[in-house]
Amino acid sequence: MTGVTLKDVSVAFGGVPALADVSLSVGDGEFFTLVGPSGCGKTTTLRTVAGFETPDTGAVEIGGEDVAGRPPERRNIGIVFQNYALFPHMTVRENVAYGLRFRDPPGGVSTDRRVDELLELVDMPAVGGRDPEELSGGQQQRVALARALAPGPDVLLLDEPLSALDARLRERLRVVVRSLQQELGITTLYVTHDQAEALAVSDRVAVIADGRVEQVGPPEAVYREPATRFVAEFVGDNNLFEATVGRGDPPQVTVDGRTLVLPGLDLAPGANALLSVRPEALTVDPDGATGPTLEATVETSEFLGDAYRLHCQWGDRTLLVKTTGGAPPGGTVTLGIDPERVTIVDRGEDT
Amino acid sequence: MTPSRWAERAALPVAVAGTLLVIAVVFYYPVATVFSEAVVDAGRLTLDPLLSVLGDPFYTGVAHHLFVDPAGVPAGVLAWVDAGAPSVGGGLFGFTAYQAALSMLASVALGLPGAYILARYDFRGRETVRSLTIVPFVLPSIMVAVGFLAMFGRTGALNGLLGAVGLGPVEVVFSLEAIVIAHAFYNAPLVIRLVATAWESVDRRQVESARAMGASPLRAFLDVVVPAIRPALLTAALLTFVFTFLSFPIVLALGGLELATVEVWVYARVQALDLSEAATLATLETLVSLVLMYLYLRYEGRQRATTGGGRSLPRKPLTTGWATLRSPVRLALAGYVVVAAVVFLGPLVSLLLESVTAPDGSLTTAYYEFLLAQQASTAVGTARPLPAVLNSLVYGAGTLLLAVPMGVVVAVVATRGGRGSRLAEAVLSAPLAVSGIVVGLGLLQTVVFGTVLFGYRLTAAGPVAVVCAHAAAAYPFVTRNVAPALGGLDSRYHDAARSLGASRLRALLDVELRLVAAAVLAGAAFAFAISVGEFDSTVLLAEGTDSYTMPVALERYVGNRSLGPNLGPATAMGTVLLAVTGLSFVAIDRLGGRWEP
Repeated sequence: MTGVTLKDVSVAFGGVPALADVSLSVGDGEFFTLVGPSGCGKTTTLRTVAGFETPDTGAVEIGGEDVAGRPPERRNIGIVFQNYALFPHMTVRENVAYGLRFRDPPGGVSTDRRVDELLELVDMPAVGGRDPEELSGGQQQRVALARALAPGPDVLLLDEPLSALDARLRERLRVVVRSLQQELGITTLYVTHDQAEALAVSDRVAVIADGRVEQVGPPEAVYREPATRFVAEFVGDNNLFEATVGRGDPPQVTVDGRTLVLPGLDLAPGANALLSVRPEALTVDPDGATGPTLEATVETSEFLGDAYRLHCQWGDRTLLVKTTGGAPPGGTVTLGIDPERVTIVDRGEDT
Repeated sequence: MTPSRWAERAALPVAVAGTLLVIAVVFYYPVATVFSEAVVDAGRLTLDPLLSVLGDPFYTGVAHHLFVDPAGVPAGVLAWVDAGAPSVGGGLFGFTAYQAALSMLASVALGLPGAYILARYDFRGRETVRSLTIVPFVLPSIMVAVGFLAMFGRTGALNGLLGAVGLGPVEVVFSLEAIVIAHAFYNAPLVIRLVATAWESVDRRQVESARAMGASPLRAFLDVVVPAIRPALLTAALLTFVFTFLSFPIVLALGGLELATVEVWVYARVQALDLSEAATLATLETLVSLVLMYLYLRYEGRQRATTGGGRSLPRKPLTTGWATLRSPVRLALAGYVVVAAVVFLGPLVSLLLESVTAPDGSLTTAYYEFLLAQQASTAVGTARPLPAVLNSLVYGAGTLLLAVPMGVVVAVVATRGGRGSRLAEAVLSAPLAVSGIVVGLGLLQTVVFGTVLFGYRLTAAGPVAVVCAHAAAAYPFVTRNVAPALGGLDSRYHDAARSLGASRLRALLDVELRLVAAAVLAGAAFAFAISVGEFDSTVLLAEGTDSYTMPVALERYVGNRSLGPNLGPATAMGTVLLAVTGLSFVAIDRLGGRWEP
């Protein structure tokens, strides 16, 4: 099996940079996700690995081999697109068999056998003779997956494969994709704009913005210890505090002109730090408060089913709070901060 | 790299190079030869032939003073004003532009109400009428001219009708009016098509917004709808001007040499074997149309703006029972429909009627029997009917073999983007601005008379030259059908095939061309119809040979009344042409063919 490595890859379209010095390393058998807002370069990264885009500088390696100048058809990849791209003039069977015209089926089985195996694998055994248009979106995407996997590719590339489907189906199918990937142990590069999806399925996640890699790491690390302001804002709900660190012990920080005491934070006096406080790190009307608290006014309360999300006015800014109990809009609440769950995004020591 | 893989990689570049070579041989080299004739004399570059034409009042009318005595122009203008600004002649070029301008106005006048009806009214057969607007592009113009002769001629349907009620006869043929109406027959459908499409793409929410902000229906129309359809109208008008400026068979058949345009005069010069003057005239004429085409492309490039994807304006029913009679707008539209029916259907119906009507008014099949006869007449210049039919079909098949691959290759290059696609765009647009006569003249000089290459004189027989000319005229139609279909394909079909191991060529053959097969067939039907109807270059290349086609034979029958006192044989041949091109149209329509210039 095979890993994928990008070394300082830059791509520009008509002089406009799409990727700037992107370096990534996807391990053998790893489920690696590129996540970012639309236009950030994540699809360009995937297309560069596939060979549809040529890097202006830098190198792409598949299985340790530089693939520069090797066209897509000789990179032994499988690719699945958001809109499925099943060939409408071929039956489902012919679609899955298409790649086997150019590569022998793995395991020395016949083409027919291989197609049956793959349709079985994606749980679509009875649709071989149908035309792709007769299938639902979710079924088409399963067929597209079978087609990409049929020739036994070294690397599976998934370009927003679930984005065209409705929310419930999307969640169901991402579990299918993940378990298939683990069953086959295939190196997978997955592109999505949905950060929740990225966190749910990946071994590791790369957050991309403006053609640059902001952070790479396991989903938990990216969520809990965002490395940049962009990652902190993009991945999950967040409250960001631009804090000026005072001189004292424990250190006092000033946020929007209000002073908070945050014990246990390793901050240099005089620094302008950026702190991340997730909505679930705030509690409403804490009893026996040990940590710092602040007074805020409830603006709106969203019921999410398993929790409430409160939008609370604190000074000039709105704080997001996730609680199990609601609070009436207009009321004043005391919010407790769990100092353990305050993360330093930027120490701000060089200013 | 394995040999087969190497062959696959080389196939596409080889096909592109081959196509460029063929286009050069059938179009650019011949046309360039004609132009060089105009500026080269005895191996030296010279402006003398051009200046002698420009300075000849026969060609340029009052404007010839500009070239003969530029210094005297101001004084001349003053003298002319002193004399009370009498009307002045414009010469051959002036007349050509004048009739083109009149034809343009007539086409717009006939086309605009039709566009309005198609865009804003609902009626049975609306879609049929819409697809029929593509018909003129496949109808041979010489056949239409014969249709007009059959309708308006001294023995034609119109005078038959007038005679029945004790009026007439009127002489409409061999008049400017006849030429202008025939041109409107051809170009009003273009106006209808382009303007109706633009009108339908007006997002109704824009009009509704204007109304909600207080605009009256008229103001909303002027402020929202008019700006949206103006580019289409200007495009249609400009194209009509270019097409009618270069119009040949209609003017030849309905105007003769008395009402000759530049194009007809070029033909007359070639027949008189004055090739150098013909080339000079052709060069000047092409310059005019190239400048106009350039302006059109510039203008169109700037116009290709946003057309909202919203719903179009609602359509009203065209007829509302008896209440129709109380609506002045609908009555006016009914009047328009009658006029349009006379102009569009009259010539075709007259053609059909005339082909089965003996001079005494009785039914006859004699003219069709004539077509099947290996006519014994040995009169010089008279075409025998059966060979003409067979020639047309053979050349049509030959054109398909040449034009379809060419058109598909150009479409592939055109949709690939980058420099190649801009080049392809230019390669496609140029033939629109160069008349068939010029291509025919060029092919006559290069292919038929031969070209010296590496010390060998290469010549080809007439039929080869005819097929070349037809292919040059036809391949842009193939491309215009295939390129939008290819361009509209999701590029991820290609990407998916490549990722599965298909080479660029295999992806093209297995996936992309399969998905646009209908467009390729529609383009082929177009190419066949163009070949069967082509007259302008064929008439030159078939001169004095056996390679005449149905349209050429048709023209000879019109001119040769020894076959009978009326248009019988010509109308019978015309009806066969109508049937062949009509079938092509049905094929094109079924296959979703299109032609947007």
